[in-house]
Amino acid sequence: MESKDSVIAAFKKIPVTVEEVQFAQRGYHLEITLEAGQLRAFAELLRTGNFYLSFVSGLHLATGIEVSYQFANYGFPCRLLANVGVDADNSVPTIADIFQGANWHERETKDFYGVIFRDHPNLKPLLLAEDMEDLKPLLKKEKTLKDRAGISRTEPEAQPTPAVKEDA
Amino acid sequence: MTTRAEKGEQRYVLNMGPQHPSTHGVLRVILEMEGEYVMDPQPVLGYGHRMHEKMAECRSWPNFLPNAARMDYLAALIYNHGYVGVVERLAGIEATPRAEYIRVITSELNRLQSHLLWLGVLVLDLGAFTPIMYTFEDREKILDILEDVTGSRLTYCYMRVGGVVRDIDDKFVERTREYIKWQRSRMPMYDKLVTGNIIFRKRIEQIGEFSPDMARRYGLTGPVLRGTGIPYDIRRAEPYSVYPEFDFEIPTETSGDCMAAYLVRVREIEQSLRILEQALDKLPDGPFMAKVPKKLKLPAGDACYTVESPRGELVYHLIGDGSDTPYRMKIRVPSFSNLSLLPELCSGMLLSDLCACMGSLDLVIPEIDR
Repeated sequence: MESKDSVIAAFKKIPVTVEEVQFAQRGYHLEITLEAGQLRAFAELLRTGNFYLSFVSGLHLATGIEVSYQFANYGFPCRLLANVGVDADNSVPTIADIFQGANWHERETKDFYGVIFRDHPNLKPLLLAEDMEDLKPLLKKEKTLKDRAGISRTEPEAQPTPAVKEDA
Repeated sequence: MTTRAEKGEQRYVLNMGPQHPSTHGVLRVILEMEGEYVMDPQPVLGYGHRMHEKMAECRSWPNFLPNAARMDYLAALIYNHGYVGVVERLAGIEATPRAEYIRVITSELNRLQSHLLWLGVLVLDLGAFTPIMYTFEDREKILDILEDVTGSRLTYCYMRVGGVVRDIDDKFVERTREYIKWQRSRMPMYDKLVTGNIIFRKRIEQIGEFSPDMARRYGLTGPVLRGTGIPYDIRRAEPYSVYPEFDFEIPTETSGDCMAAYLVRVREIEQSLRILEQALDKLPDGPFMAKVPKKLKLPAGDACYTVESPRGELVYHLIGDGSDTPYRMKIRVPSFSNLSLLPELCSGMLLSDLCACMGSLDLVIPEIDR
């Protein structure tokens, strides 16, 4: 893969939902939604496409927990954010054997959200102490939870307003 | 030669840290040793964990501004830059041109002092005490310049959404120009004192084998990555702020050892000086702060902002929900991914070489633990 378009074309084989977003407004190029069952095939594809894993993170919504993966490429500008809903038993498959860097990122997500990464080689607490395993600090209280619509852009992406040329 | 294991000698476990001069902070590494060889180094994190990501969800976005400086104490201004950048991107606000220039100038000064400290402590880790005295003399000049305009010397909280908190004046420009001249005059001395020193070279040449493939598997970024021959720098790959307006090179090396990372960082000092020179020449007049609503709410939606810290790629991922408090903020720090390759990189290596590798990665532990 040597351009953004070839990456989008390659994703059609899995297939995952790909949306091209404005880099100037979002800071990444592709937003991807996929099922937990597609995650490993998706990661394998990015591995052969010479991507690197930037981070793994979580998000607690009213509909459940989502895990986000950000990948980017050293060769051409293509930063992508993939959102995966966890399975009913609060788990997703690990990608630590495909991208070894995911090992720590997944342990961190387990610490903060309690998400189980299936077949992870060593899912022990990383940043939290061992007796804090049940803390799951980033889970929200029920009344503060929002759904996807509550954190999605409502209006079409506009150009940033130009700076006002007078002293504040 | 029979190995120690064959001779019936047991492996033993050596505990390095959490307080150890070579770990540059409260990092603990459990080393499984065979004689003087490290067979399995396992970092233990979390001693400095403060849960900044939770704090971001518990307070309004302006109240998080001081937190940004407290993750990587050596790149506080660059962390400032990333944080105000992500809020501006989500809220659709643009900083004034003069503010963007001031941000680049102060960020590059910040990068220079980080590289100078690294240069001193890397050599200190390897047993030479003198160079850190010289690099601190240089670094002190930068801290004095920044202290005048920002009010602090380490944990800066200088940038604001829409601009910066105080304008820079002619005195700042003049002192920075003097500093650039001074730093250039010092580089030949470092070249003779450190780079050309045979003992130093023997300690880091062909130590640590970083490769492009390993970099992709672990998400390695920053000078260590550029030491493997990949010219990847966020300032050039995904340009932000006013970096596209400057002419600078991305230094690379191909050997992928600790020496390569060393050479890349030393050459980056000159490139930062070049950016500073050009930014001071082109510095536009005008306001240093844009008009921003007094009570700015974060619109629903998400945005990322990626900057190049002295250690690699720093990403803020901010999700807003229409209130003034972030719904979620993820902070991707470079040292976290960079350190995660230590077990693979350093297995089978002499203990003294492990110190060289950790020094080359330029770890900042509070950044990893967050």
